[in-house]
Amino acid sequence: MAIAIERPRVAARRANRYRVWRRVGHLLTYLGLFASLVFFLGPFFWIVTTSLKGNEDFFAFPPVWIPAQPSLGHYGALFTRSSGARYFANSFVISSLSMLAALLVSLPTAYSIARWRFGGGLLSIFLLVLRMLPAIALIIPIYIMYKMFGLTNSYLGLVLVYTVVYIPFAVWLLVGFLRDFPVEIEEAAMIDGCSRLRALVQVVVPIIAPGLAVVALFAFIATWNEFLFAVVLTGIETKTMMVLVTSFTSGGTDMFYGEASASVVLGVLPAFAIAFMLQRYLVKGLALGGTKG
Amino acid sequence: MKRLWLAALVMIVLVGLVALGTFPARPVGAARPYEGQTIRAVVNAEYVKYSLSLIEKDLFDTLGVKIETEVIPLDAFVSKTLLEFNSGSSPWDLVMFGPSNMPDYGRHFEPLEPWVQKLKLDFFMDDIADVYKKLMLRWAGKIVSMPYDGDVHIMFWNKVAFERADNKRKFKAKHGYDLQPPKTWKQWDDMAEFFHGWGWDGSDSKLFGAGASYKPSGSGYSYHWWRARFFSYGGQYFDANMKPLINTAAALRALEEIVRTMPYYPPGVLLFESEEPKTMLIKGEVPMLYSWTSTGKRVGNPAESLIIGKAGFGLVPGAEIDGKLVHRPAMTPGRAMAVSKYSKKKEVTMKVLEFISLPDQSLKIVMDAKTIMDPWRVSHFRAEKFRKAFPGAGEYLDAIEKTFPHVVPDPVIPGADEYQRKLSFEITEALAKRKSPKDALDSAFAEWEKITERRGRDKQKALWGEKMAEMKSLGIEYHPDWAAKAK
Repeated sequence: MAIAIERPRVAARRANRYRVWRRVGHLLTYLGLFASLVFFLGPFFWIVTTSLKGNEDFFAFPPVWIPAQPSLGHYGALFTRSSGARYFANSFVISSLSMLAALLVSLPTAYSIARWRFGGGLLSIFLLVLRMLPAIALIIPIYIMYKMFGLTNSYLGLVLVYTVVYIPFAVWLLVGFLRDFPVEIEEAAMIDGCSRLRALVQVVVPIIAPGLAVVALFAFIATWNEFLFAVVLTGIETKTMMVLVTSFTSGGTDMFYGEASASVVLGVLPAFAIAFMLQRYLVKGLALGGTKG
Repeated sequence: MKRLWLAALVMIVLVGLVALGTFPARPVGAARPYEGQTIRAVVNAEYVKYSLSLIEKDLFDTLGVKIETEVIPLDAFVSKTLLEFNSGSSPWDLVMFGPSNMPDYGRHFEPLEPWVQKLKLDFFMDDIADVYKKLMLRWAGKIVSMPYDGDVHIMFWNKVAFERADNKRKFKAKHGYDLQPPKTWKQWDDMAEFFHGWGWDGSDSKLFGAGASYKPSGSGYSYHWWRARFFSYGGQYFDANMKPLINTAAALRALEEIVRTMPYYPPGVLLFESEEPKTMLIKGEVPMLYSWTSTGKRVGNPAESLIIGKAGFGLVPGAEIDGKLVHRPAMTPGRAMAVSKYSKKKEVTMKVLEFISLPDQSLKIVMDAKTIMDPWRVSHFRAEKFRKAFPGAGEYLDAIEKTFPHVVPDPVIPGADEYQRKLSFEITEALAKRKSPKDALDSAFAEWEKITERRGRDKQKALWGEKMAEMKSLGIEYHPDWAAKAK
């Protein structure tokens, strides 16, 4: 009898203990997540608030976490005195055009490799080799070529070089998607009267959209953040946001902490916004890509 | 008819008066002679661009010229600008550069003297401090640039740390001599150790022993901080045969000392560029720092400084050799402005260079606390406006002038930037304890030899010979025996 009563008590104690441990586990997980968030987002939070602070608050003690009177003055100075608007627009145009060009060139290339083994397997290896070359090794020859052809300090020059640099990754990614795409669906579309091009555009593209989104996102963010080509191949008209950020943050910021922080915020936000917008496709695309052999 | 004439006359006079009131009077013949022209300048930081903005209104009002300024970040500046120049062209008319790199840049600049005669320019050469006149302006014997930023190191200290009776008593009890701003490296190290880790300002805070910049970026911060000791222990860059002397006894002693005293500096000092230790000085967190002279303007800037009126200014410490103090502060790297020889607007750019170098215009630039530009004209040091700009400004300016006779220039030969960066990298390797000081300096020696070989030993030797003679005329020579006897 005693044993019969004891059993439910033991079970209840075990259940209680389990619940307590589960709660402790959750608590520790959330604490860990919170600590990670503070660690990773803390510096960004500080930069954002610094960009909104007055000069007198930068070194105040105790620290001013959130300015009492936030001001967009540093953003204003960035856009007027430091030509921030021009650099921001340059980055946006160059990144968007590079993204479009990478998509336009890599999709037919990937399609021909996936469907007809165009290049007999060599083309895809060649593309991979291109990807292996570090940008620093290419910069001098590219600069000399560009100088000869008058392509320095032009949108075209930058878009061209970024497109060439990002195509290998884009093609390799899309080949995987296209190889997994059932060719029967395409054939059915063609039996129904579609041309090959129309089948590609109207049937294949909508289904592999997540893959295209990954390529687009990669091309945009990589172009936005790129520094080496942007500093060497540009001039005053075509400088990009990353060059502006670096010109504020290298060699002593001195009294320009506000503008430097504003430039960092503006340098990060667009890539963040694009990633946020394409997040749905990105997760799907990466998950699909993950199953490719 | 008479009335009509009278009315017309009144109208003309009225219109004339209105016109006079509307448009500011300008002397005939001086009316914006280059109206509508824009020149392009290249600089290496946003604060340099800002410094040009301080004179742009006057420039436009006087010459009618606008400056469009391109900023290339510091770490990419030399490579990018030389890449453009070496391709035989330049998108810029006015070029800012580090005078240490003159051997690499000089041939791309337009000599000033023919234009001085042609355009009757006046650069007020007699008003330039001798040290800059000697070391910053010439390439192949011709004047090709004007100083823009006079850069030397001086020492700054927080008087609170050195004047508190309690601190003085404790220090004397520990070291047996009086606490006062250090004159030798031995004293500097003793004081860094003494001040580190407690509230030397009377607070309960754990403060630091001294400030420094040990990051190997830019033209090599850690190298600039090491070299003041190296030269005061009798060091020199190369011998007459272009053999590097950077792993000699003087070099090793200097490096071993800064490695040994690392614990007395703030955490993160290996990542400090120029501004971090300056900020710590003006916030009262380090009691002493030697750094570029622009530090003084931050010391006196009420928007950020907590030590206004409490700061001292003086010579960077040195070594006692045979009873005599030898100071060897760095003169580095400075900024100068030149006109590109590929410019299609040489005349107007020459006029702009003359304008920004004028005593009153350049004073505006070097006085502004938001620029890192330092005084370089004699009149800058004498300007009442500057001497009264903040409490102690006069002492600050005097300290800079007193430093001039002792300064050591950079190795001004082709590839100067490369030599300095390699050495700085190795010095930081030793400071980070990834290499022993001896190994680090031996590696730097090997790197310097490689650079010399690549650039042509004979060519480098010839150019170094000129610089070595110039340094000898400043009293800077290799003294192998000093490392052992320096106190």
